[in-house]
Amino acid sequence: MNVQVADTALETEGEKLRTKVSIKKLAFYYGETRALKDIDLPLYDRKVTAFIGPSGCGKSTLLRVLNRIYEMYPNQRAEGRVMLDGVNILDPKQDVNLLRAKIGMVFQKPTPFPMSIYENIAFGIRLYERLSKDEMDQRVEDALQRAALWKEVKDKLHTSGLGLSGGQQQRLCIARTIAVRPDVILLDEPCSALDPISTAKIEELIDELKSDYTIVIVTHNMQQAARTSDYTAFMYLGELVEFGETRTIFTHPAKQQTQDYITGRFG
Amino acid sequence: MTDCAMNTSAANTRRTGASRWFAPSDKLFHGLTLSAAVFVLLLLGGVIVALLEGAWPAFAKFGFGFLVSQSWNPVTEQFGALAPISGTLITSFIAMLLGIPISIGIAIFLTEICPMWLRRPIGICIELLAGIPSIIFGIWGLFVFAPFMQRNVQPFLIDTFEDVPILSNLFAGPPYGIGILTASLILTIMVLPFITAVTRDVFETVPPVLKEAAYGLGSTTWEVTRYVVLPYTRVGVVGGIMLGLGRALGETMAVTFVIGNAHRIHASIIGPGTTISATIANEFTEAVGDIYTASLVALGLILFLITFTVLAIARYMLMRLNKRAA
Repeated sequence: MNVQVADTALETEGEKLRTKVSIKKLAFYYGETRALKDIDLPLYDRKVTAFIGPSGCGKSTLLRVLNRIYEMYPNQRAEGRVMLDGVNILDPKQDVNLLRAKIGMVFQKPTPFPMSIYENIAFGIRLYERLSKDEMDQRVEDALQRAALWKEVKDKLHTSGLGLSGGQQQRLCIARTIAVRPDVILLDEPCSALDPISTAKIEELIDELKSDYTIVIVTHNMQQAARTSDYTAFMYLGELVEFGETRTIFTHPAKQQTQDYITGRFG
Repeated sequence: MTDCAMNTSAANTRRTGASRWFAPSDKLFHGLTLSAAVFVLLLLGGVIVALLEGAWPAFAKFGFGFLVSQSWNPVTEQFGALAPISGTLITSFIAMLLGIPISIGIAIFLTEICPMWLRRPIGICIELLAGIPSIIFGIWGLFVFAPFMQRNVQPFLIDTFEDVPILSNLFAGPPYGIGILTASLILTIMVLPFITAVTRDVFETVPPVLKEAAYGLGSTTWEVTRYVVLPYTRVGVVGGIMLGLGRALGETMAVTFVIGNAHRIHASIIGPGTTISATIANEFTEAVGDIYTASLVALGLILFLITFTVLAIARYMLMRLNKRAA
């Protein structure tokens, strides 16, 4: 009976869902090798979507299509469409720099730039906005506050970002990403290089950030996917096997493959 | 328990035995590497002592005046090093002024912009350029480049800057073809491959993920290069520049061919001049009197000190950069 009630509540919540990004018939190639095949997937506004699946299944590749970072490498290409608010971002006419300002990315390993903590944040903002010193100070503080890093670094803003611990560096990278006020945040295994305490902090952070941003997280950690995400996409060998609400995927998956993976029978 | 203790002591004895067996060869190895290292120090010390000894008569006769006088007269045996010193510094300065931006530009193009299929050909060409013996640059400079400068570049420079206050002095006088500017341009070409090769190599050490992060924020190639790649690699880039500067300061053959070998200091950079190494190479065979030879050796000592100072400053700068980054 209780389960029934919960389900209907979800149904009504589902009515209000807005699709932020819609991936349609997406295929991806590394040279001749096809890494993604016929992916159709929605990413909902202000929700966390997790990509899970065994190594090499294409989840990071899919993430890298979303901000076209793969274009840095000459023999990688994508086919199909990725609609962000109704505009196809894979269209060559789309300004790739503007797109990347709208879709931020945080990487597996922390990637602070070789400059001060303050400049690490201000760098991205300066690319697209002209702010006064006061406004900039405010933006930097906001971003660091939101990334739960302000208290730890407020007295050493002008020291090198490389001097922070791994967990702090990763939160700095998240702060840097949200400072430019993107629409979508892509997280590529953001906690895989971090200790449990830093991981917990970042998961809390993801939970807070989803009130403002559409978040995609790639993770190898099943518990992390279950804890942090609202929706989960399970991928295998370059194909999308199953997509649905996280609690459904983790309790009543429709496909046997999904069941096997989340219970640890392969992967 | 006792059994165990006995076993351990037996193992210990065996180990001490082994280390005793190794000890002589290890000591020998230590001794060999130590003497190799000491040999370098002795060589360096020997060179300094020899230079000091050879230069002593000149310093004894002219004193501090040797450094600030520009007279160079073998007949009256009056020698001063100012012209060669200034020539060395000016040619190297111009070579760096032009060489650094071009080299860094090439390195940026090769690592960030150049399509894959073009990278290797250009890279190989640059390495070949580094392999050209300096005498070839000298011959080419004298027979091809200097006439070209005389006919086209120098008249153009003289005409263009005729009415510009400071520049008209810089580019004044008859277009000889050979001169300070020609030598500087040859030096520029010669230091290019060195600076380019080092900067390209250090640019390639930037982790791709760091560049992805910068591009991921929406930066352009210029912004990534300026704010991420260059700061990340600045120590290596400064190292490459110093390598180039070291070559420019000491380059002898190519410069001797095209600089004009005149012991005079001009305001104009198209006029003929000389450098320390060019003077030594040119005049050593005809240096008769003792004081003439001593003056040339003294020039050598000065060059040695200049390159040593440049290297020391470079080290100091790198140390400070490292400290700030850490």
